[in-house]
Amino acid sequence: MKRFLFPSLLVILLVSCSLNEHPKDQIPEEQAYTTARQLYQNTVATLYNYIGGDADGQGLQGTCRGVYDLNTFGSDEAMLPTRGGDWYDGGLWQAMYKHSWAPGHDLCKNAWLYLYKVITLCNRSLETLQAHGNLVDAATLRGYQAEVRACRAMYYWYLMDLFGNVPLITSSDVSMSQVTQEKRSITFAFIVKELQTVLPDLADENSVKSGYYYGRVTRPVACFILAKLMLNAEVYGDDDWTDGQRPDGSRMKFSVDGQTMNAWQATVYYCDKLDASFALMPNYRDNFLVHNETSTENIFVIPMDKNFYRQQQQNLFRSYHYRHAAAYGFTGENGSCATRKALEVFGYATKAEDPRFGENYFAGPVVDLNGNAVADRGGKQLVYYPTAVEMNLSGSPYVETAGARMRKYEVDKNALKDGKLMDNDIVLFRLADALLMRAEAKVRMGQSGQSDFDRVRSRSTGAHREATLLNILDERLLELAWEGWRRQDLIRFGLFRSLYDGNDRVKEDDGHTTVYPIPADVRAMNVKLVQNKGY
Amino acid sequence: MTWCIDIFTIFAIINHLPHNQLLSFFTYTAMPKNNLLLVLLLGTALPLQAQTIVKKDSTALKIGYTKGISGLITGSVDQVTEQQLNKGLNINALSALNGQSAGVSVSTGPNQEAMLNAVRVRVRGTTSLTGGNDPLVIIDGVSSDLATLSTIYPADIERFTILKDASETAQYGSRGASGVIEVTTKKGKGERFHISYDGNVGWEAVYKRVGMLSGSEFRQAAANLGMTIADHGGDTDFRRSIERTGWVQNHHVAFGGGSDQSNYRASVGVMEHRMVVKENAYRNYIAKLDITQKAFDERLSVDLGIFGSIQKSKPIPFPGRLFYSAAAFNPTFSNGLNAAGGWDQVPEASWITNPNSLLKMENDKDDGHFNAHLRMSMDLGRGLSVTAFGSYSYNTGNLSHYYPTFVWSHGEAYRGDDKSEDMLANLSINYRTSRGAHQLELLGLAEVQHSVGKGFHTQVSNFTTDAFGYHNLAAGAVRLWEGTGSYYQDSHMESFLAHAQYVLANRYILSLNARADGSSKVGRNNRWGFFPSVSGAWVIDKEPWMQPLRQISKLKLRMGYGVSGNLGGIDAYISQQSVMPNGVVSVGGTLTTTLGIIRNANPDLKWEIKRTFNVGLDMGFWNNRVVLTADYYTSHTSNMLYLYDASVPPFIYDKVLANLGSMRNSGLEIGFGITPLRTKDMELSVNMNMAFVRDKLVSLNGYFNGEYLTTPDIKGIAALGGAGFHGASDAVFQMVGQPLGVFYLPHCKGLIRNDDGSYRYDVTKEKYICGQATPKATLGSNIAFRYKAFDVTMQTNGAFGHKIYNGTALSYMNMLSLPNYNVMKGAPQKNIQDQTISDYWLERGDYLNIDYLTLGWTVPVKTTYIRSLRLSLSVNNLATITGYSGLTPMINSSVIDGTLGLDDKRNYPVYRSYAFGLSIKF
Repeated sequence: MKRFLFPSLLVILLVSCSLNEHPKDQIPEEQAYTTARQLYQNTVATLYNYIGGDADGQGLQGTCRGVYDLNTFGSDEAMLPTRGGDWYDGGLWQAMYKHSWAPGHDLCKNAWLYLYKVITLCNRSLETLQAHGNLVDAATLRGYQAEVRACRAMYYWYLMDLFGNVPLITSSDVSMSQVTQEKRSITFAFIVKELQTVLPDLADENSVKSGYYYGRVTRPVACFILAKLMLNAEVYGDDDWTDGQRPDGSRMKFSVDGQTMNAWQATVYYCDKLDASFALMPNYRDNFLVHNETSTENIFVIPMDKNFYRQQQQNLFRSYHYRHAAAYGFTGENGSCATRKALEVFGYATKAEDPRFGENYFAGPVVDLNGNAVADRGGKQLVYYPTAVEMNLSGSPYVETAGARMRKYEVDKNALKDGKLMDNDIVLFRLADALLMRAEAKVRMGQSGQSDFDRVRSRSTGAHREATLLNILDERLLELAWEGWRRQDLIRFGLFRSLYDGNDRVKEDDGHTTVYPIPADVRAMNVKLVQNKGY
Repeated sequence: MTWCIDIFTIFAIINHLPHNQLLSFFTYTAMPKNNLLLVLLLGTALPLQAQTIVKKDSTALKIGYTKGISGLITGSVDQVTEQQLNKGLNINALSALNGQSAGVSVSTGPNQEAMLNAVRVRVRGTTSLTGGNDPLVIIDGVSSDLATLSTIYPADIERFTILKDASETAQYGSRGASGVIEVTTKKGKGERFHISYDGNVGWEAVYKRVGMLSGSEFRQAAANLGMTIADHGGDTDFRRSIERTGWVQNHHVAFGGGSDQSNYRASVGVMEHRMVVKENAYRNYIAKLDITQKAFDERLSVDLGIFGSIQKSKPIPFPGRLFYSAAAFNPTFSNGLNAAGGWDQVPEASWITNPNSLLKMENDKDDGHFNAHLRMSMDLGRGLSVTAFGSYSYNTGNLSHYYPTFVWSHGEAYRGDDKSEDMLANLSINYRTSRGAHQLELLGLAEVQHSVGKGFHTQVSNFTTDAFGYHNLAAGAVRLWEGTGSYYQDSHMESFLAHAQYVLANRYILSLNARADGSSKVGRNNRWGFFPSVSGAWVIDKEPWMQPLRQISKLKLRMGYGVSGNLGGIDAYISQQSVMPNGVVSVGGTLTTTLGIIRNANPDLKWEIKRTFNVGLDMGFWNNRVVLTADYYTSHTSNMLYLYDASVPPFIYDKVLANLGSMRNSGLEIGFGITPLRTKDMELSVNMNMAFVRDKLVSLNGYFNGEYLTTPDIKGIAALGGAGFHGASDAVFQMVGQPLGVFYLPHCKGLIRNDDGSYRYDVTKEKYICGQATPKATLGSNIAFRYKAFDVTMQTNGAFGHKIYNGTALSYMNMLSLPNYNVMKGAPQKNIQDQTISDYWLERGDYLNIDYLTLGWTVPVKTTYIRSLRLSLSVNNLATITGYSGLTPMINSSVIDGTLGLDDKRNYPVYRSYAFGLSIKF
């Protein structure tokens, strides 16, 4: 008997447990797609969690150190000056200002990782939709797929715009050896084709109104991106941006809904569609109110709700002076502000100051929400000195107060988390931009863009200007300040390298800085990736 | 570069040189890396002479699952018995071990935030990159953890047994790679009823602070630079305003009794520690019961042990911010409330907050540990015995905080609950036989372990009153989606162990272990790992030809090789591609939770493997009046588990937990004990241990999913924080081909004068490797002297060969931080207006610290009831001898994390403890 005791106990012991895992706080991927509703939620809707963000580098806008910062602080629109012991951050922001970013620059890596993360998630979603497509009818499935493909095309557009030659990956099942770069023009063509293909299957609905399509990539969103792609076709179609030559947009041919058009015609075509379904708001500021879901002008936004969503608006937090933010009950980091170049364009402190200056910036004496003066640390009125700004303010008497600060959005008095969680939806695309694009395309075709130009301008100012190319560029800054377009605009106008504010730049005559370097860490892991020229 | 003991020298000394030259043993010579084996071969071929003396050295000893005889141990095993445990004021069980075993580093120094579960222990340095560097803790056979161990009352511990090399740790297979600390607690002894009291009471006081400008100096310095300050007219030293006199008291009562057949021991204890920082406090309540019963002609033995402890503590919510604030807060502010009943803040100084208001943040932590275990051993006769063992452990953790509205803009309350259960059962069969000169022991064991962890937390904000604290979460209006969460994790492990030990003629010992472990956490195809070890020992002093050498009372050569594994720091389910809620979005106008992939899965996840070779020599002279132990080891970690950087694309996320790289670790450990004086009235003994350790990150590359993955060769580990240091401020790096944690900084040639008369650092563009963050050598030394009934013990610990980045000075010397942050004394004179990171503030970290000095009096009582009475006085943290210019060199120099090697404004105040102790046995 005894001799069986040990073995039998042993058997009992081992039978009682198994080495298979049965997680309860997470589920196997297959279980996430068992109904039609789940299929939509977990393949399509899940992607919208990544449009905005709450951490550095995440989201298209609203956070720091990612896509938005590359598009903003690399341009002449805004800067993050070093303020004594604050904002040196290892020289990060000075490099943005001087265009001396290197492949090891944090912002480049953040943007790359973020954009490819979402692109790869899109690829997976498409594969999942394919595999579980039987849960819905064919038309619905096509709609879902269109939405994901449009999303992916949008991220690829940001990626190509920032990095030039990027790997074009359309499946989640690729190995490292398959990850190689495509020329910029190939990726450009891919994005255009994807968007054009899915356009009919996207809902022709407004995405900024609260309701069924709120926050989704709908047909107008795709049209807007197509307009941007066409307007920048000379840039995106250029595979060697260091040779001083570019294709001619009027000769670039695109097939648009069965017609062949050049880049400018196509821009106009897509802008026309937007003009048909959106309308400028009477007042500029209406688009940036706490509850701006009613805007008829906004085309695509990052939905914000301080009680529900995670995504944050950190750009205001980063710009307010400490005591300015404190007067609102928030926290401020006293950082970003307008360059002197931007002040010039706005005609700051001149008779011709554009009214939109006051909409977009805080300058001069700071007051709280009741109009009472905010005191500085010495008990005197806190004043912003826009023209005192320099990249290195250390030692300056205006070290804390130099620079016009970001205003743009109506203050949400009830904002949470230091003021970062607010209800104003972050505006990504809007009609005013489309109208200026159409004006520009028309001028580039030799036509008059005056009517579109005037529609945008006259809303804010009575001062007439001719719709020349350079005036359009200026108008884009006046109208679209802090909206993340300046870098792209300057590159398209060939003015990205122009100096301002006495800025001491790196040598960039060859134009290599018009795309950012492939991040060093990414190349260390994938030796096949070739660094962009000039880095 | 390798400083390694030349084994030639040792043997030469032993054989040919006068004994008084033994100390020259401590001269080191450089030895080429791979000559070790050669040296060993030559060393073992010593010419030796013969005579007879037999030394008894046969204390029965349990190591791992086996019952060893201490004289027959083949691996590197250190025992720290009750007598050797630290005698100073011990705030927890692990601090009693500090400095007592070569290669075991315990950072419970007063300069870590001395909360008990922050204890950090490393055995033989770092051998893995992932979190699994904590040694395995086994308490009376129950697998446990450092947090539980640190709650045991030190007086309940009979012995620590530390298994260092793989020939011993292989018994624990996959969990043994980072070393094993086995704890044997006191049990009943089959003697008549006895009761004892053990306790101490003491106080603590801060004795050193970073010198910052006073209110008037601050005012003057700002005026000199033409700056406007927020001048509130005061002169407050905020460092002192967060301090208080600390208070510590420990009380412990134990009693037991019974007979040889059945006996018990029970104890209760309470430990209270009010720290030198206000609000920061800790209480620990402990109860423990052990019962032993023998039956059936003593063939059956049953042991039951129950242990429970409850900790109630108040950790500092943001220690880094508190200490940064206490040093750098505007000293012209008053220490009290302002007219409005709040605390004035400096909004411009976003990294600091009025320290007095920070102290008003409620933070409570309640933890509980419970364990019960039962062991039944049956002697079946003819050398055969069977043992069944089962244990159940239950741990809880409760964290509650409330940040009032005047510190945290809308107020914030948090409640979090964590529970973990661990069930372990094993069955073993043991066979012993001896025939003539042959002894054989065989052991077979099967074990299962099941662990479950679960918890939840919720966070609420927007309070209109601070009156509720965290006690009524309904008082807060906002509950964000990401503020609430819960988790569940379970994992299983199955193991089989076979062990054999063969002893020939009591002097040639061969030991073999083979363990197979199966874990649910690794990938489906790699479930089982095999961990063998082989070791041998030669008890040279028992050789007949050794007997003429009466002076040599002990001489033993040990050698072993083994493989152990590591799965530490890995959560369950990592090998699966699963989805979790990833956010809320509007779907069809309704708030909807979506699911998404939250990490790169690795279905091929497997065991990290560590191979260790160990050779050791134990020597005793003149009846062990002089004892020497030396161990050399070299280990190689492969399939190294690490959250590797992954290339995006094709990966979704930029990290993947995988088994790719490898690292090497080697070292030399020397234990030295001498009792130069031993008479009836007087005894002097000196014990020292030294450890030299060298590690190298060999590779971070390898195959993943059939593809060769490369990761960046240089990666930041620890970065400076605070104003102006957001990003690109790494100072400590992980570099392939270097020790883990090196300083890689630009060189500073000196200071350059700016046009305005201020100075900046003259820094080169190129960076270079300028030192390592982990010590190359550590020292523990204990000197004990007894005169009649009085004794004095002094423990000194030290660490050498590493550097410390004085980030505190870099920040506090930067005049640009004026007028929002205070600066150090001397900063206005130097007028540096720069905080570029360079080697300017990199300093040598060598130190010797007198951990404690204890004076004891064993009162000669002669009554029937009192068996012994001892009174003691101790001073802890008596003095630190160092060239380091910062507050203290005792920062984190051992654990690879974001604080490694950096002295960065976060130091806990340096304090000294004075305690009175009483120990009485009836």
